[in-house]
Amino acid sequence: MDVTLLDRQQATYPLELCASSVPLFQSYLGSGPIVELKRPEAYLSGDGFHEFVYFPVGGGTEFGDSEKLNLVPPDAAPGYCISRTSSCQMTAFHAAAMKEEREDMILEKMESTPGSGSRESFTKRKAEVVADRKSKDKRIKGELEGESEVKTKCSTQVSRNSSKENSKACEVRKPDYIHVRARRGQATDSHSLAERARREKISKKMKCLQDLVPGCNTITGKAGMLDEIINYVQSLQRQVEFLSMKIAALNSSAEFNVENLPIKELPSYVANFPAAAKLPAMPNLTCFQLNSMQKEAVNCMLNETMHPPLTATEGIASASVSIPEQALSSSTITQLQPFSTWNMDPQGLYNLYNMGFH
Amino acid sequence: MNNPHHLNPTSLKSRFTTRFLRALTKIRAQKPISSSSPTEIFRRYRRIKVAADKSMAYSVRSRRIWSRAMLWKLRSRSYRRQDPCSGRRSGKTNQAIMKKSSNENTTTRREDGVGFVEEADELRQLVPGGETMNLCNLLDETAHYIKCLTTQLFSPIGKG
Repeated sequence: MDVTLLDRQQATYPLELCASSVPLFQSYLGSGPIVELKRPEAYLSGDGFHEFVYFPVGGGTEFGDSEKLNLVPPDAAPGYCISRTSSCQMTAFHAAAMKEEREDMILEKMESTPGSGSRESFTKRKAEVVADRKSKDKRIKGELEGESEVKTKCSTQVSRNSSKENSKACEVRKPDYIHVRARRGQATDSHSLAERARREKISKKMKCLQDLVPGCNTITGKAGMLDEIINYVQSLQRQVEFLSMKIAALNSSAEFNVENLPIKELPSYVANFPAAAKLPAMPNLTCFQLNSMQKEAVNCMLNETMHPPLTATEGIASASVSIPEQALSSSTITQLQPFSTWNMDPQGLYNLYNMGFH
Repeated sequence: MNNPHHLNPTSLKSRFTTRFLRALTKIRAQKPISSSSPTEIFRRYRRIKVAADKSMAYSVRSRRIWSRAMLWKLRSRSYRRQDPCSGRRSGKTNQAIMKKSSNENTTTRREDGVGFVEEADELRQLVPGGETMNLCNLLDETAHYIKCLTTQLFSPIGKG
């Protein structure tokens, strides 16, 4: 039975149709189509025929004059356009889905319309098909396809054709990729999608960091946020260093129960020191109540923090050089300049150290 | 160890606190308490700072890139101090490891396409092990690093 069917087809559609239309098709398809244009004869045997016959007419106007090319089923156009784009992952299964449909349609048409009588029914379909096709083509040609676009088209096709196989194919075979909705007016190729996904991840992390770093709610923009984060990390690191220095200083001077070492008990330890100097209690700086001896240690530690590559011996040498208090005060004040990036009030810091020397 | 203030014995805070206390008692036991010259204080300060870094890194184990980098740095430093010959050897192998890891990840000068190269580089210098991270990981590591630093500062040892 198949042979006779083919013979009938060959009679109905003369070869010249195929020969003349192929160059048109080729020129229309342009560069890089997925579906290759084989010789027309090849299509007349077996399943290849379906692919040829149902090659779409991208713009209906080009082929509007030739009636012979009306034989386009409603959804070959999207099938063709889908196969046109190379980056879409749903090409394979969509083509298969289209093929399924087309085969059904073909069988239906071939059975119902023998010979030339088929023209009338086809022309009837043509009216609705052309309208359908044009709208779809415009939409399809206007945008490059991303996965999400194909998905939306899939769903619209479902609504238009109401064919169960199509919907089944769409739902069942979802590719397991990260789904990024391509926004209106933005490029939808895979590279920019990946870039956008990365940027969104980074902005999400910046928001988390914004919660961690205090006082940066007013700052908008990533560069300012990064600067704030850098300052905060630097200040935290310096605080850790200062506090470990404080522990070292206290460690050297007095016995103390390490477990119970709250800040409030510090003044008592300070009083025990031989050259204790009472400092005004500042809200953030209670940990910095030190005597002059410890200030020298602070000095060499400041040296170290300001110039990290210094080795321990160098640090101590520079500390011994600046033992006289006047030199000490001046050097500490000059070293306090870089601390302006601290969150603390630099003026308060100056006051603290100044008062400590008198 | 009696720590009535610790609610969760397995939290980062308690892990760090116990380790740091242990290190502190060890340091106190080593040196006589009477010495209070600046040099001694300075030396002790260095040791305490290293102890703080070490206890924090050990509390986090190898779960984070920055903790791994910090542990590696501390270990290589201690090897070098103990035995110069073995330090050289271990230094070479460690350098090979670091080079391999940096080659695996990418070159140090990164153009992430987002446009924050200078700030990102500064942040990389601050966070230990940051040179081998891309911006995404860098932000994650920074968040965890900030969390650990604040834990250090506000631990019951009286640091904060």
